[in-house]
Order: sequence, then C-alpha cells, then structure tokens
Amino acid sequence: MSDTKGVLVDITRCIDCESCVVACRLYNGLEVKDNSVEQTQAEKDKLATDKWTVVQKYKIEKNGNAVRRFVKEQCLHCLEPACASACFSKAFQKTPEGPVVYNEKLCVGCRYCMIACPFEIPRYEWDKAFPRVQKCQMCLARVAGNQMPACASVCPTGAIAFGNREELLKEARSRIAANPGLYVNHIYGEKEAGGTSWLYLSDVPFEQLGFRTDVPYRPIPDYTWQVLRWTPHIFIGWGALLTGMYMYTRRRAEVQAEEEMYAPVDKDE
Amino acid sequence: MKDSKSGLNEKKTMDRRSFFKKMIAGAGLVGVAGSLTGCLRQSPEQTGGQGWLPYQYNVAGNLPAQVRGRVPIDADNPSIVRDDRKCILCGQCLEVCENIESVYGYYNLPVIDETICVNCGQCSMACPSGAISERDDTKKVFEALEDPDKFVLIQTAPATRVALGEEFGLPAGTWVEGKQVAALRRLGFDAVLDTNFSADLTIMEEATELVKRITGEVKKPLPQFTSCSPGWVKFCEYFYPELIPNISTCKSPQQMFGALAKTYYAKKRGIAPESIVSVSVMPCTAKKFEAQRPEMNDSAKYWKIDNLRDVDIVLTTRELARMLKAKHIDLTSLPDENYDSLMGEDTGAAIIFGATGGVMEAAARTAYFLVTGNEPPELFLNLAPVRGLAGVKEAEAEIPGVGTLRVAVCHGMANGRKVLDAVRDGKAPWHFVEFMNCPGGCIAGGGQPRTAVPPTDAVREQRLASLYRADASLAKRKSHQNEEVAALYRDFLEHPMSELAEELLHTDYHSRADKLKRLLTRVG
Repeated sequence: MSDTKGVLVDITRCIDCESCVVACRLYNGLEVKDNSVEQTQAEKDKLATDKWTVVQKYKIEKNGNAVRRFVKEQCLHCLEPACASACFSKAFQKTPEGPVVYNEKLCVGCRYCMIACPFEIPRYEWDKAFPRVQKCQMCLARVAGNQMPACASVCPTGAIAFGNREELLKEARSRIAANPGLYVNHIYGEKEAGGTSWLYLSDVPFEQLGFRTDVPYRPIPDYTWQVLRWTPHIFIGWGALLTGMYMYTRRRAEVQAEEEMYAPVDKDE
Repeated sequence: MKDSKSGLNEKKTMDRRSFFKKMIAGAGLVGVAGSLTGCLRQSPEQTGGQGWLPYQYNVAGNLPAQVRGRVPIDADNPSIVRDDRKCILCGQCLEVCENIESVYGYYNLPVIDETICVNCGQCSMACPSGAISERDDTKKVFEALEDPDKFVLIQTAPATRVALGEEFGLPAGTWVEGKQVAALRRLGFDAVLDTNFSADLTIMEEATELVKRITGEVKKPLPQFTSCSPGWVKFCEYFYPELIPNISTCKSPQQMFGALAKTYYAKKRGIAPESIVSVSVMPCTAKKFEAQRPEMNDSAKYWKIDNLRDVDIVLTTRELARMLKAKHIDLTSLPDENYDSLMGEDTGAAIIFGATGGVMEAAARTAYFLVTGNEPPELFLNLAPVRGLAGVKEAEAEIPGVGTLRVAVCHGMANGRKVLDAVRDGKAPWHFVEFMNCPGGCIAGGGQPRTAVPPTDAVREQRLASLYRADASLAKRKSHQNEEVAALYRDFLEHPMSELAEELLHTDYHSRADKLKRLLTRVG
C-alpha cells in the first residue's frame, strides 16, 4: 500500500481558474452541455455524470475579513472504498495504483455504491436507457503510466500536486510546519473514512468549505465487516447445527423405533 | 404409442435438467477462466481517458511544462467572459497576463476576496480558439435603439477607425472613419459623436494640470502619470497604490465625454438627460469596467438625479462589427460621412491618442502653447522618440521659460513596472509619463479585431501608421485649436480646471491594495 499514489490539493493556492475542470472534460471526452454559458454558477458547480470534477466557491469570513475560497471536488478515492465493498458485481475496484475505478461492463445498475459513498460522489445516468454510474477515475491510465492525472497536470499554481501518498502526507505536514499561522493543522483525507488517496490542506476550517467532518476515521467497510465476517461461521455453523439436530433426531427416532420393535409385547393385554 | 410418448416426455425432462447443469458449469468455467486470465480485472482503457490533452501535459511524472492552465476569470467580470466549450488549455492567456501585463503571478496566494484582473482583455487577443471574448452588450444597445423614447448617442474612440475595417476584410490599419460614422447612422443612432473631441479636451485639462504641477501651483508629485487607460489605472491601484497621487486627476476621454453628454450636450440640445442613452465604441474591454466605476456618475450629481450613469453602455470594436453584420450593413460599401456637431470635432492631437506615445505627444504640443503662448516648433509635431513599438521610450524637449521637459512612454504593464519601480525608488528624471496597458496602445486594445492571434507587430505598425498619417494630413494638429472645445470652455466650463471642470472632468482613485498581497517581482 505504500506505493499507492495520491493527490494533494492545497486550497490556499487555488485561484478558481477551473483549468482542472476543463482538463477532466477534455481528457475523458465528456460531453460539454450546449448551454454551459447560460448555466448559473450553482448549476455549473454541481458534480454530474459528465462533470467528474467541479470547483466549489465559498464566500466566508476569516479573522473578520471576507475571503473567497475554492474547493476542487471529485471522488476522494478511499483507501478502503465503501462503494467497492458495497458493489457485489465488482464494477467498483480499488487498484493498487490508488484510483478507485468503475467498470461499466460489470455494473448491474443497483446503485448501492451511491448509497455507500460517504462523500456522495457517484452520479447515475437517470436519463439513459442503459444507465451507468459515473465518477472521477483518477485517470488510471495516466497514473499507471506515472503521469499526473489530467487535472493535476494543468494546474498553474501547483494547488494540485500528484505523487506517492506517503510522500504527499510528508509534504503536507512540512507545509503546515513551515506556515502554522496559515494552515489549519489538519490534513483532510489522511484519516477520514480510513484514509483517502486525495488529501486537502486549508487555511480555514474544513467544515466551512463544505467538507463532511462527521465522517468516521474507521474505514466504512469495517462496519459491515463487523457483521458480515460472521457470514461463513453462521453459514457453516447453522448448517452444522441443523445437521447435528437432524442426526440427533434421526438417531433418537432410530433408537425409539428399535426400542419399540424389541419392546416386549404388552403384558397387560 | 402410449409407452413411446411417455418415453419422449421422460427424455425432455432429462434434457432440461442437463441443460441447466451444463449452463451452471459453463458459467462457473467462464468465471474461473476470466478471473485467471485477468479479463474481469479493470483494464486502463475502460476507465475514462477517451479524449485528449494538449501535448505539454503528456509528460511523465512531475516534469515541468512551459505553461500550464489558464487565467482565472470571474463569472461577473464586466469586461470579459469565457466559453468553456472552446477552451483547449493552451495556456496563452496565462502567458500574456503574466509576461506582457505582469498581473497573474504578481500576487501572493491565498487570494483574498476578488480575482485579480485589470480587465484589459489582452487574454482575449491571445486566445487561439476564441474561448475568451468581450462581454457582449450588443443586445442592450439594440434595445435602446428600438426604444422611441430614448435619445441614443454614440462616441467613437480614436483607435476603432483604423481597425474596424479589418472585420470587413480590409487590410490592417485601413482608415474607415467616415464609413464608421455612416454605419452608425444606419444602425439608428440619434447622434454620432467623437471621443476625439474629448481627447482634445483631456489634453487641455491634463496639460494644464502638468504645467501647474511643474510650477507648483498644484501640490501634487511629479512625474505626472496619464490616466486615460483604465487597465493601467486599475493596475496602479492594485500594485502601486503609493503612486496614485502621481496619476493625473483627469478622467479618460470616454468618461469626460460621458459626463458632458448628459450635461453640456443635453442642455445645448434641449434633451432631458434621463432620456439619453450614452453609448461608446472602444478598442478596449477595460472601458466596460471603467464606465461601471461607482464614481463615474457626475452627470447624476450635476442634475441631482439618481441612477444616471455618464456612460451607459460600452461596446468594443468587435461588438460593433457584430452589430453591423447582424443588420447586414457592409461597411465597405458605405460612403464617408461626417460626425455630428457640438462634440464631433477633432484635431490631429486627438487622433494619435490611439497610439503608444500619442497622448504624450499631444500633451507636449499643448503644454508648449500653454506655457509660452506660442505654437510649438516642428519637433513637437513629430516627436519621433516617443513613437514606435519600443517598450519604454524617453524624450526631452526644450520649452522656453520652463526648461527641459523630460518624458517617458511605456506600454504593456510589464514595461510599466520598470518605469514605476524607478519612480518609486526616486530614480525617475521625468516630468510626465504615459502609461498604456496594451502593447502598442489603444490600436491593439483588448477589444480590437482579432486580425492576428496573438496580435503581431506588423498589424500594430499598420494601425499606428494610419493614425500618424491622418494626424499629418490635418491642418489642425493641436488640441487647443479644437473650436468645439474652445466653445465648450466659452459657453460652459469657463476655463481648464475650473470648478465645473473639476467636478465633471476630474476624478480620484482608490487603492486596491487590500485586494491582494502583492509581489513586486515574480518569484517561481
């Protein structure tokens, strides 16, 4: 797992140019809606089946002053993804390189992944006859070939850094240490949901920027595993129990039948 | 019969059963084989990546690239918009914003609460796919033109008349002043007037201010900076707020014209100022921003009417061309017509406002006259050192009674920084400095036709030459010779920098230093 790749998003360096959003569309050949110019900002900034990443805009207060902050949103690529754990057809898989990828050929369209995801990322093609689930694939082909994901490769300010997850964590810690007055002392994604491949640094509290801060540090699949890990034991145990009971009752019936057979004829009659 | 029939039934039952068994076994085999051969594992081709990226991004690891990404543009930017459907992430907007205008990259991150932009639109001139363009205000103008209760007047900037023709296939720099007037009349404007008129007026005010600064009558620092380029003014407010007192208090010609259109012109023509829609056609996207500056409503203060703007709508040269084409007006087939009177006269000095060095040359001609009372010598009519496309130009000229007038001219804010740094460090020998945000001056402004993308010096030189030819061909080449300007002073303003002139034609500037953490030199 130490070779797994990650991306570090430094919110303090984002200028809202949305190069990443365009790069994602270009590289993945995603449809660009004809009315994109007429769309409202709120509509533009929603994840969609043809928009795997967006930049959310926040007007907030920092030390009493109005500031604007921008948050790139996409799949966080959990180290132990709940979507993959919920997917019984193996359409979602965690790759050793880091990306959590979706294979439409294996998908049965149950949408368990959408319910499972703690970050509400996967989107469903409700308007299609054969709908797919869509989300950021973290440019697996590029990452596997030691290239940055498309979004990271086009970032002009270095707000999106690509690398080995362990090294990015070190880098994030050293940025916080070098500038403790600037950064919030937290790396979002280091522990959330058991850790995610995408990591975030910020100078304002994460809850003000739309991040879910109630996500447990325990991997989500752990919770179901607590129950589901008993499945084989219960399956085999229950079978063994029933078999035992069956054998016991059969044995008892045999014994009873034998006893009856060899029992002395009623003397009283 | 009966036996054979029952036998057949028995066989059928067996078949169904064996088929089911075979199917289950087969599915199991496929699953095992698939798992073993890896067919069911994700292959990279299936997971996105059906499109493309520009070549500079297809490099291994974290290798550097010559340019990445693009400039940020706010959704509510009054000057420019971007259509993401057309953006190909070539990075050329960033290149021009950073290296020609020295805006992007000259502030520290994180950002504060606005996207740093001087509205110059040079990115729209560099964008190869036309993703970045001016904010389109043509609809507002068409609506105003269709409203019978409105008196729609238009002013035309000095530089549009040497570029508009290019949109209609004419060679770069073709002089279309008369045809432009005719075209605007065909569109239905009630009055076609000239920003050149207020350019001459600007010179009267600005040269007076310069002389007063030099003589000490006005207690303001030297060198005096020109103030007609709104991109430059905003740049100074962002990055050099300590030098704001150096900027001439004169409004730009567009805004002087706007303030007079709804006061002087309305009075003289007997038109209610509320019914006037004041439109301008400019080579510039920053003019859209300038017209929206909250303080640019001096006509409202004059009449004590709320909601009156000095300039209501600003069109770029490109938008005007689109309007003409929408109405099937072929500029090339029109006759040459003259501007309407009252605010339509110009001199050669006003014409060269569109060129880098032009404002300086025009001001020098009139400053000479204001100081000496004599017409300037030939040198001032062809001030060669301030002409041409060199980034920073300097000149000296003797004015009897004042001494040597030292001036500098720069265009493109990366060049502007060199001059500003010298002034800030007290190393500036100049009395007067002209700043133009766009390389080449207004003739290559961010609202001009995209004849060459990115703009080439060849196109710039042809447009410049056209302006200087027009200047040389005129009998009146000095702003103080403009008779309509003289009449304006006689009938309305009294004299340059009078109380009313200060009220309508001058303004002040405010620091935008709280909008950014500036970097005075680019680091990394």
